[in-house]
Amino acid sequence: MSRELRGTPAAPGVVVAAPWIYRVSPPGDAVALPLADASDAAADEIGALAARLRDGGRESEAEILDAQAMMAIDPSLHSAANDLIAGGADPDRAILEAGEAVAASFEAMGDEILAARGADVRDVTTRIARIMIGGVAPRLDRRSVVVAVDLPPSVTVELDRALLVGIALEGGSRTSHAAILSRSLGIPAVVGVDGLCAAAATVSELGLDGEAGTVYLEPDAGTSLHLDRAARTSASRAELDAEFAASPLATADGHRVTCAANIGEPAEAEAAFASGAEAIGLFRTEFAFAGRATAPDEALQAAAYAKVLRASGGAEVVFRLADIGGDKPIGYLRIDPEANPFLGVRAIRLAERHPDLLPTQIRAILRASADAGQRTSIMAPMVADEADLELVLRLVADASAIVADAPVPRVGIMVEVPSAVLLADRLAPRVEFMSIGTNDLTQYLLAADRSNAALAARQDPLHPAVLRAIARVVDAARAAPGCEVAVCGEMAGDPVGAQLLVGLGVSELSMEPRAFGAVKRAVGARALPDLIALATAAQQLSAAAEVRRTVESAS
Amino acid sequence: MAADAEVEVRNPSGLHARPAATFVRASAAFTADVTVTNLTRDAARSASAKSVLGVMGLAVARGHRVRIAADGADADEAVTQLVALIAAGLGEEIDGE
Repeated sequence: MSRELRGTPAAPGVVVAAPWIYRVSPPGDAVALPLADASDAAADEIGALAARLRDGGRESEAEILDAQAMMAIDPSLHSAANDLIAGGADPDRAILEAGEAVAASFEAMGDEILAARGADVRDVTTRIARIMIGGVAPRLDRRSVVVAVDLPPSVTVELDRALLVGIALEGGSRTSHAAILSRSLGIPAVVGVDGLCAAAATVSELGLDGEAGTVYLEPDAGTSLHLDRAARTSASRAELDAEFAASPLATADGHRVTCAANIGEPAEAEAAFASGAEAIGLFRTEFAFAGRATAPDEALQAAAYAKVLRASGGAEVVFRLADIGGDKPIGYLRIDPEANPFLGVRAIRLAERHPDLLPTQIRAILRASADAGQRTSIMAPMVADEADLELVLRLVADASAIVADAPVPRVGIMVEVPSAVLLADRLAPRVEFMSIGTNDLTQYLLAADRSNAALAARQDPLHPAVLRAIARVVDAARAAPGCEVAVCGEMAGDPVGAQLLVGLGVSELSMEPRAFGAVKRAVGARALPDLIALATAAQQLSAAAEVRRTVESAS
Repeated sequence: MAADAEVEVRNPSGLHARPAATFVRASAAFTADVTVTNLTRDAARSASAKSVLGVMGLAVARGHRVRIAADGADADEAVTQLVALIAAGLGEEIDGE
């Protein structure tokens, strides 16, 4: 009888293989080495990994490892460890302790970039300690699903790619480093699986479904059959989609639509463009504000934003101003708990109580824009009416007067509050683009809380009411020359949703890059007049499920 | 022989990660003892310019002023070259130029 554990899907694909549990210091049979020699050996190992990444064209990851190789032979680290050894500490414990002290001091400086380097230091001293006790480098000896709480970047790179067929993590999120890396390497992955490590230690085989986010312990015959079928479907679909991934996003009769990517971290930009994104249609900037003790200053934000502009090679990048609210509290903002944070003081509504928050962010975006010599697009979330829009236009004008050397940004709004749909004809003439956030628009329009699983069925953006709202926004934009309409919700990455959006007249679809192939295939299968007819007919149906059936069965 | 000089760090990521590694590699070429002080954050604390962890630990961000001090046979040359390297942006582009 197989048991299953649920997690968060992190990279698509289905696989069955033996679990391999990552341990920091596996006992080994290599010769134990003194500190100095072990450090040199660690630097050599890291240097070899950097070279491997460089050969694969992954220069920015290689540079992280270059710095780690220098840390391994750092004199200050060695003198701290030698002092501990002289005081009677075990040599391998001494280097770990010395590394911990450095990492802790980095984390105490109140500098986010430096704090993140603390993890790199621990990664290095762990490697030195492993070599000192004669431990061998982690190595797979058969096809394996790697199981860990979290997987340090250098270990992910080190494992044999031919044998590493899946990754399952107890910790992590879709945007954690290991998850991003597994998507870029095409390894199926599930993250955030409670109780995984203890459970995996007792089984000889694991099934992993990277699309459903499920881990099966010791899959039985029935489960294996199901996984086999899912693997075949997933592989053939992935193959078909991959054929389309490189082609333009266009209907069968050649009507072009911009294919854009949604990203939540600067590091995701490069992979998005490599996957064929023509623009970043939604750059979520909340990452810059989360997990910190104090608000990020202008220079820190500008440095992070500049990374995305550098990766863009001149393509459009839409920065969405921070959509922060009571649902994901940020300590230093001291947002009071709210009974209903989705209807609370969030996003641009924070401007009154935190007068520096948005001006600092807008200046940082313009600073990065000036540094890159590239025009940016600034998008305001939660705009409900003209007063909200005026606030945003004023903040952008004020920031532009200060960062005078930045190119004038395009300014747009996210359309997600139903009042903005009803007022679209008043808003459209004053902005250069409107991007419809279908996830929030659906929850607000249908009064169905996104976080309430009992209402999941009411959360479908294919609902005729949502389609009518989108049609209304498109009409308003058509009457306002120079205003374009994009969609950046999940609907844009759903093949059925994408077909309807193109038929409704949306000119840009912004989605997770892994959806590019499937969406291009679906949109390319039909001519524009057919999609327009489908979108028109769908608005006359009565339920989301009926819309989906109608689109899927139309030919 | 001793020498020292001050300079403002102007490259976008300060003396973090890659620029720190560039700086430490350059410092290692001199026989003189070389130290760095982040005058903006803590003028009483110095680190060896030959330790990447020491230099990173000073948390030097863009706009901070640092002092480079050297003691040894090639001290003058070390200070001159390292100050020039920082002024030139440590391999990163400096905005406004």
